[in-house]
Amino acid sequence: MIKTILAIDTSCDETSVAVVEGRRVLSHVEYSQIAMHVKWGGVVPSIARRAHEERIDWVVEKALTKAKLDLQRIDCIAVTYGPGLAIALEVGIKKAKEISQSIKKPIIAVNHMEGHLYSPFVQNSKGNPKTDFKFPYIGLLVSGGHTELVLFKDHLTYEILGETRDDAAGEALDKAARMMGFGYPGGPILERLASQVNNQDIYHFPRPMIGSMDFEFSFSGLKTALLYKLKEMTEAEKNKELKNLASSFQEAVFQTLMKKTKKAMIHTGINRVLLGGGVAVNNRLKTTMRAMVATQGGSVFFPSYKYLNFDNAAMIGVVASIRAEHGFFATVDDTIDREPRLSLLQSSI
Amino acid sequence: MTRTITLSTQSIKQVINEVLQVLSFGGLVIFPSDTVYGLLVDATNESAVKKLIEFKNRPPGKAISVFVADLNSCKKYVSINQKQSAILSKLLPGPFTMVLPSKHTVQKLLESEKGTLGVRVPYYQLILQLASSFGKPITATSANLGGSSPHYSIDSFMHQISQAKKDLIDLIVDAGHLPRNKPSTVLDLTESTVKTLRSGDITFEKSNVHQSHSAQETQNIGRELMQSLSKKYGQKPLVIVLKGDLGAGKTEMTRGIADYFEIEKIISPTFVVYYEYVIQKIQNSKFKIQNSNIFIHVDLYNIQEETEFDHLGLSDYLKPGNVMVVEWGEKLGKMYTEFQEKADVVFVEIEYEGETRRKIIVNYL
Repeated sequence: MIKTILAIDTSCDETSVAVVEGRRVLSHVEYSQIAMHVKWGGVVPSIARRAHEERIDWVVEKALTKAKLDLQRIDCIAVTYGPGLAIALEVGIKKAKEISQSIKKPIIAVNHMEGHLYSPFVQNSKGNPKTDFKFPYIGLLVSGGHTELVLFKDHLTYEILGETRDDAAGEALDKAARMMGFGYPGGPILERLASQVNNQDIYHFPRPMIGSMDFEFSFSGLKTALLYKLKEMTEAEKNKELKNLASSFQEAVFQTLMKKTKKAMIHTGINRVLLGGGVAVNNRLKTTMRAMVATQGGSVFFPSYKYLNFDNAAMIGVVASIRAEHGFFATVDDTIDREPRLSLLQSSI
Repeated sequence: MTRTITLSTQSIKQVINEVLQVLSFGGLVIFPSDTVYGLLVDATNESAVKKLIEFKNRPPGKAISVFVADLNSCKKYVSINQKQSAILSKLLPGPFTMVLPSKHTVQKLLESEKGTLGVRVPYYQLILQLASSFGKPITATSANLGGSSPHYSIDSFMHQISQAKKDLIDLIVDAGHLPRNKPSTVLDLTESTVKTLRSGDITFEKSNVHQSHSAQETQNIGRELMQSLSKKYGQKPLVIVLKGDLGAGKTEMTRGIADYFEIEKIISPTFVVYYEYVIQKIQNSKFKIQNSNIFIHVDLYNIQEETEFDHLGLSDYLKPGNVMVVEWGEKLGKMYTEFQEKADVVFVEIEYEGETRRKIIVNYL
């Protein structure tokens, strides 16, 4: 029988709660401040981010109301226990335990990165899209906090092929934008500037580790290369060259992602690729990834709805459904603890 | 079109008169100072102050200090006790901003949430003359937009700002390239001990200067720094504050420090603010570690508001045997004082000097 799951994700900035049944998302609520960011031009006055504790009850209640369900109808509670910010994760876990005790239902602990891997399979309340699982996949997870290549062998079975040794891809894009004098969030700004010069690569910034035999990433050196370039330019030159700089930087990041993904496809013989995480909303990345995968005769899958690219509890709920189907109920007791540096390997069955 | 006048020794009197006129009509003036170019408005004129805040994209509640002609005039705007007065007369005029309880005689928007006001008596004749002829305090904030670095020339500033911003400026006084002095040192005199809120050119008493030519060398300096601190390790929590621009090598330095504890796989915590690692081993040390001792790698890059600290739980980590490395530690603000009280704090500045050169200054407090 399909379970009704209340899922909580407080891994970093977002307080997010969802109600799911199987892969269908009945409701999804997040205390998002993106709108505030835009309104105040990058500065949120006197509104603390990560104030999960103050918000969690409100968000849980809203998610239940939107799903038109009573708490008693919930079969189990899913919660993210890592990776993420320790104190933020704690709030979600504490809430999950509280609800679990009050309604006497089990908890399923979920790895946030599993959520991103499953995000192309998350459906709306009507059960769309109907994409079926066809294992194995190569998963590329790219966000502000993560960059990793995963071998997604079967349900809940993962192997990490490679990950970043320093900065995440999304972080590199954000910081590059800041170095060029732009605000937050930097990724979309670079994307727009780059598209205005047809994504040309004039500056050929170094692509650290692109030639290495493994599947590891490194973006810190690329950031430093941009710094040196900016230091040698006058203000007038910088202003004139902003679009080319943005475009060349973005290309350096994406070419690296592309090359390593291709290498992973060839190495494993798998031609189905999944993308997840905030950077995967970037149209340039989508287009080039589609083209590259097509040359390998494969297909590529992106998160089924835009909100699923970012931190959200819906994907956590879907992973929990799969875990429940496979009989992996975590615990009814108090043993779940936050794991800020949790790896996918630890969650693999 | 914004009017620009060039400052020369012949034009001083005329320039001052013109600036006085613009200020008295509530105008916004870009003017040189002893440190960087500043944004001047009448500190008692509400609409002028609002215009300044709009120009700077400054969030409400962030204080803006004021230029005052001399020590005596300071007393009109802030309350000063005997002890504070002694400090003021020792250091002023000079490159310091003194934070004191406001007497609420200037625009409230310039004060901090705690009701304090920063006053500046610069060692710069033009501003002193201006403030004394104007008879009212004048805002003393550097000519830059929120979050970016200050400017030493009018050209570099004008390149950074949009036309809409340019339209807000009423007068520019161009004195050419200013010497590269840092912004003023900000001292908070409102509590029993004097706190440095921002350090300018004048820094701490005891410091070691290192040169690094590569990421590897920066790591080595980090490791050696931790080695030199090992005698202290374990008695109090240890906090190492790292300051330096993007690409300076703060994370490399952290890697070196972590390496002392044989902690590997340090990745950037920018996105989540901090990661914790259990301290397993210490190189060549007799101190017995407990499994609960933690190495915390903090990165305040994404922190925008001091209120965010209320939800980060950083002070819970201040326990003996714990080591905390804080990148972008200059954003600690008020937390810095708490850290100083509860922990041994080391302040490290990494300065960019060229593609293969960084100056690393270690300040022991």
